[in-house]
Amino acid sequence: MKINTKDLISAALLIGFAVVGLWLNMDHTLGTARRMGPGYMPMLAFWILLGLGAIVLLLSLFNGPDPIPMWTGPEIGFLLAGAVGGTAAGLVAAGMPGWVGAGWNPLGIGLFVGCMIVSVVKSWRPLFLISAAFTLFGLLLEPLGLMVAIATSVVLSAFADETHKPVGVLGLVAFLCALCWAVFIYELDIRVPVWPVF
Amino acid sequence: MDLFANLAHGFSVALTFNNLLFCLIGCLIGTAIGVLPGIGPVATISLLLPITFGQPATTAIIMLAGIYYGAQYGGSTTAILLNLPGEVSSVVTTLEGYKMARRGRAGAALTVAALGSFFAGTVATVVVAASGPLLTQVALSFGPADYFSLMFLGLVISAVLAQGSVVKSIGMVVLGVSMGMVGTDVQTGQQRFTFGIPELSDGVGFVSMAMGMFGIAEIILNLERPEARSVMSGKVGSLMMTREEFRRAVPSVLRGTLVGTFLGILPGGGAALSSFGSYMMERKVSKGRHEFGTGAIEGVAGPESANNAASQTSFIPLLTLGIPANAVMALMVGALIIQGIQPGPRMVEAQPDLFWGLIASMWVGNLMLLVINLPMIGMWVKLLSVPYRFMYPSIMIFCAIGVYSLQNNVFDVYQTVVFGIFGYLCSKLRLEAAPMLIGFVLGPMMEEHLRRAMLLSRGDPMVFVERPISATMLAIAAIALGAMLMPNLRKGKDAALQEGG
Repeated sequence: MKINTKDLISAALLIGFAVVGLWLNMDHTLGTARRMGPGYMPMLAFWILLGLGAIVLLLSLFNGPDPIPMWTGPEIGFLLAGAVGGTAAGLVAAGMPGWVGAGWNPLGIGLFVGCMIVSVVKSWRPLFLISAAFTLFGLLLEPLGLMVAIATSVVLSAFADETHKPVGVLGLVAFLCALCWAVFIYELDIRVPVWPVF
Repeated sequence: MDLFANLAHGFSVALTFNNLLFCLIGCLIGTAIGVLPGIGPVATISLLLPITFGQPATTAIIMLAGIYYGAQYGGSTTAILLNLPGEVSSVVTTLEGYKMARRGRAGAALTVAALGSFFAGTVATVVVAASGPLLTQVALSFGPADYFSLMFLGLVISAVLAQGSVVKSIGMVVLGVSMGMVGTDVQTGQQRFTFGIPELSDGVGFVSMAMGMFGIAEIILNLERPEARSVMSGKVGSLMMTREEFRRAVPSVLRGTLVGTFLGILPGGGAALSSFGSYMMERKVSKGRHEFGTGAIEGVAGPESANNAASQTSFIPLLTLGIPANAVMALMVGALIIQGIQPGPRMVEAQPDLFWGLIASMWVGNLMLLVINLPMIGMWVKLLSVPYRFMYPSIMIFCAIGVYSLQNNVFDVYQTVVFGIFGYLCSKLRLEAAPMLIGFVLGPMMEEHLRRAMLLSRGDPMVFVERPISATMLAIAAIALGAMLMPNLRKGKDAALQEGG
């Protein structure tokens, strides 16, 4: 047996999507082939996806080996901790009054906390620190304005690359603030708060 | 001649100050991202989509198109000088181009790449202009069943030509189609797979998906591998070609243009495929084939002409049939739809400004690129000294502001994060993102045509094989799929794409 791990996981992903899709699609009327209901095309698509997933699964048992590097203990641990911590933070935030629980903020907070927990592990940093910085931008943009959002998320994302120096990051923040102001506010005039409002 | 009147009209649109300006901006950005490795036209165009909304549709498309073919020009610079492909479509240029640079003929290689591209661009412009209206006439006779089969063919070919396992790529196509089902059902108004989230009733964010899977995921992948930029090999040297080099390059440019023009029209084709196809051809048929591997000018002239021709002719299926041939064209569909224009055969008549203006702007853009690239080559080389650590936060911030400004909703920002993580996962599992994007764009259109076709045929699926056009499309799709099952051909493709990146 030469198991192709990448294909095996891909198959699991495709089959997972298909099964969940088919299950969710039970809510929609199928209709007939002549008069298709809202559920007809999704049904076709998900069954094909399921079939393709099954083929990938079968092939994966023979066309390997194509192993993926094993995750170390901390990598797995912090990934799980991030998933749990992020979900918990999101749920707690959803129950809070005021800004924290309003709109999409719980989702953002959950994503941010989850990503930050995982990025404690160095090898996860490129992936989750960039994600965290991106989420942070979304969180801060409306309450604190564009400039603060740019500054904080650039600084956070800078930790993903060890070659950064403080001066360079400061220069970058100043440059990006000026550039974004010129492009998005002065030139395109998008509707977004620029400075914090007190 | 109608063609000339139409082209004249196109130039009158393309030569307005605003359109010229945005064409120039598009070409400049395109060259810049072409020169810089690590950021491609798909990511850039999705990044700049939101910025174009304030502009009229024609201006927006002119600029976005400029980025795509501009990137083909810029990509050759990095390939020749640094042995690094600035774009996927320049991978084969590194093979001969860098060797030429080592022999001190970098200038000649750059010149032939730019002149070849310009020639190919001019030919491709004429081809698009001439074939567009013709194909539109054909397309107007298409019924819903034919459309469905045509899209089906497009999806199959885009999966077959994608890198790696065909089954996985088809899986990604279908996954994209399924994601296209999210949102309000057009005919009944029922909410599908929205989980009660109002933001999803318009469907999964197209820009979020493209930015996440191409922009953010690309940043993360680039950060993971250490920066490997070799030092520039010597000087650019004289830009002049010798007479001998010129004589050898001409047939290659002609062949490359032909290959590129043809492969660009093919669904699933595009710049990357055609530059590779041309390289293979040059290695087999050109007079200098015994010199390949030591810096043969044919190996630069052919592929560089081909990728530029293809980047323009790949607009043909989009402009005439409304069907995107590759991921960049899928983004163009997105841009058009957001602008309120339904791409399809009626576009030539309903939007003559856009159709002819875009075609004329392609030629204008090529002219600009010639000037941008040759005399100003030094400036672009300097751009390469900007370290990636300054680029990635900038890309990230531009993505974030762009995606937010779509609907002034932070939900889109979070959606992009999720797609970024998903895109990273996919690339680690060697699941191709491009077929998924095409599937996502074509999915809803396919559903509509499928429903209409079945309604017209009273529920008889035989309609897809009874109509000659539709049957032909399905037959080609079947042959393409069947061909990939043959081990020899598949190995050939894998080897080809491996070498071609």
